[in-house]
Amino acid sequence: MDGTAGERAASTAAVQLSDVSRTYQRGQPVHALVDVSLTLPHGSYTAVMGPSGSGKSTLLNCIGCLDTPDSGTVHVDGREVTGLSDRDRARVRGEEIGFVFQTFNLMPRLTAEENVALPLVFQGVDRDVRLDRARDLLDSVGLADRTDHRPSELSGGQRQRVAIARALATDPALLLADEPTGNIDTETGATIMDLFDDLRDEGHSILLVTHERTIAEHADRIVHLLDGGVERIEELGNRQPEGTPTDDRTEGS
Amino acid sequence: MELGESLRMSVRTIRGHKLRSVLTTLGIVIGIAAVITFVTLGVSLKADILGEFGDSGANRIFLVASPSGDGGGPGFGAQSVFTERDLDRLRAVEGVRAVIPVGSIPVSAVDHGDRSVATADVTATSPALFDGTEFAAGGPFNESRPGIVVNRDAASQFPGNLSVGEEVTVAYRNGTSVNVTVVGVLATDASVSPFGGFGSGGPAFYLPTSYYDQVVESPSTGETQRVYPQVTVIAENPGEIGGVQERVQRSLAASDAAQLVPDGYEVTARTNEDIVERIGNVVDRLTQFVTGIAVISLLVGAIGIANIMLVSVRERTREIGIMKAVGATNRDVLQLFLVEATLLGLLGALVGTPLGILGGWIVTQYADLPLVLAYEWFALAIAVGVLVGIFAGLYPAWSAAKVDPIEALRYE
Repeated sequence: MDGTAGERAASTAAVQLSDVSRTYQRGQPVHALVDVSLTLPHGSYTAVMGPSGSGKSTLLNCIGCLDTPDSGTVHVDGREVTGLSDRDRARVRGEEIGFVFQTFNLMPRLTAEENVALPLVFQGVDRDVRLDRARDLLDSVGLADRTDHRPSELSGGQRQRVAIARALATDPALLLADEPTGNIDTETGATIMDLFDDLRDEGHSILLVTHERTIAEHADRIVHLLDGGVERIEELGNRQPEGTPTDDRTEGS
Repeated sequence: MELGESLRMSVRTIRGHKLRSVLTTLGIVIGIAAVITFVTLGVSLKADILGEFGDSGANRIFLVASPSGDGGGPGFGAQSVFTERDLDRLRAVEGVRAVIPVGSIPVSAVDHGDRSVATADVTATSPALFDGTEFAAGGPFNESRPGIVVNRDAASQFPGNLSVGEEVTVAYRNGTSVNVTVVGVLATDASVSPFGGFGSGGPAFYLPTSYYDQVVESPSTGETQRVYPQVTVIAENPGEIGGVQERVQRSLAASDAAQLVPDGYEVTARTNEDIVERIGNVVDRLTQFVTGIAVISLLVGAIGIANIMLVSVRERTREIGIMKAVGATNRDVLQLFLVEATLLGLLGALVGTPLGILGGWIVTQYADLPLVLAYEWFALAIAVGVLVGIFAGLYPAWSAAKVDPIEALRYE
């Protein structure tokens, strides 16, 4: 792949990482990420696997603009984000990234629809508009009858559906899911994974971190991390992202 | 993030911790209530004192010997220094209509029939004191009609009320006594104030100066003369009171009073305006002092809010992380916590203000003062409550804004 193609990929991909390194100072330096390059095309569904300490969380945080790499660049929907101010990175998080956490991370005092509408609060969207959108999203994840419930009144699976609806609120370029079935029983987990499959079919780009092979196999490909680097990329050939040439593949580092 | 949404979320948080919010704002409530109570007391006290200086006092100049400088109010440590020679000279001053000496005759009681009313003193003065004063019966004493004037309260102390023409016995403290006829009953329960208008309530008795026996040897003439602690000069024209005051002051320079006055004291001529101003200053200073103490409790209230906000930031670390993950900027988080602290302050002020007014009402009732409300202070109190909230919330809000979202999301 030549440079021009690479630049085009950067401008069209949901996320592109180039030579990203991140080192923490914890007494002695911990190399969480070492020269990682990775492209997530629009509409792709990627799983990240690896033992603990392999850099999964750091990768997620760097893509999600919660953390800043020490070197290398991260493009989110064509925009370079590593050099942005705190304020602008917050904006990118709000507009381009949708987080789904293992522990759901819903606001305990807000109702389901208010939780889903929360990202829109920080975008300055009118209350009526954002609550309408929240109800639509809850409807689409099958929780139309739970809009006024608090998180404590919902089951684990329902909470995760609310969290997924919230992640979709601003129609982000990428969904980042960190062990989304980690706190849910297997049966419910399967329905959550079905939901991700549906989202992928609707054209959403998804990056999912898991340590379970069966979960990872829902994705188009699995990125295996080891000691902060990409060990190998495993293509599953489930589906190819629509409108993406079959040879537009990403090279590992 | 819109302010309205911050408000909505803050209200929800405050409601979510009702007991804690109440305890947090208690400091502000007490502080604001205390400030308003004391200010109301001060303002009411001032109004009460100044109310004694009626409009009728506009043409009066009040002479008194008082400690030099700013030390005392009128009548404070009054020394008897004004001799009859001084009074004659004052009467000769241009623009003076009348000169009224006021002295006090030490008595133990005033008796009539079987009833004896204990009283500490009877005022010795000249008839001009009663100029403009309404009588229920009779009138002022004068040379052709010597006798005693009493106020309505004094008259009602005796069975069947004292009426003009009846005789009372004034018992001096030295054991002797004298019989006098009642010549006038005032139409008021208050006493006649030498400042014009009326003074405080209670039985009051007035005798002509001929019953007054405090004397001194006049330094100028060597004669033995009556000497008075207070003199009120009435000007012909209230409009020229400034000029009269100046001439009276000049006349005092060569008076017996100037020679009789003790070291460290001075004889001054003050108009009502001067006195009102001086009393006002004294009351203001007292009010400020007491209010200053109350302000300390506001400070304690601020510390309370700051403390609870810091706890709240810590408790909600994870929520802060969530908000940041879904796009909240540092400024959004700062705003949210600042609004919450401000609301707590406002809440305290809104509860504290009516409590303070109630406190002011109770205190003034107890002290028998007219209730005067200082509305500008209420507005100030609410503003202070809000400011205290903002001030107390600044650091906690700032520390909330600085929370690292990665750490916060991991926080249990």
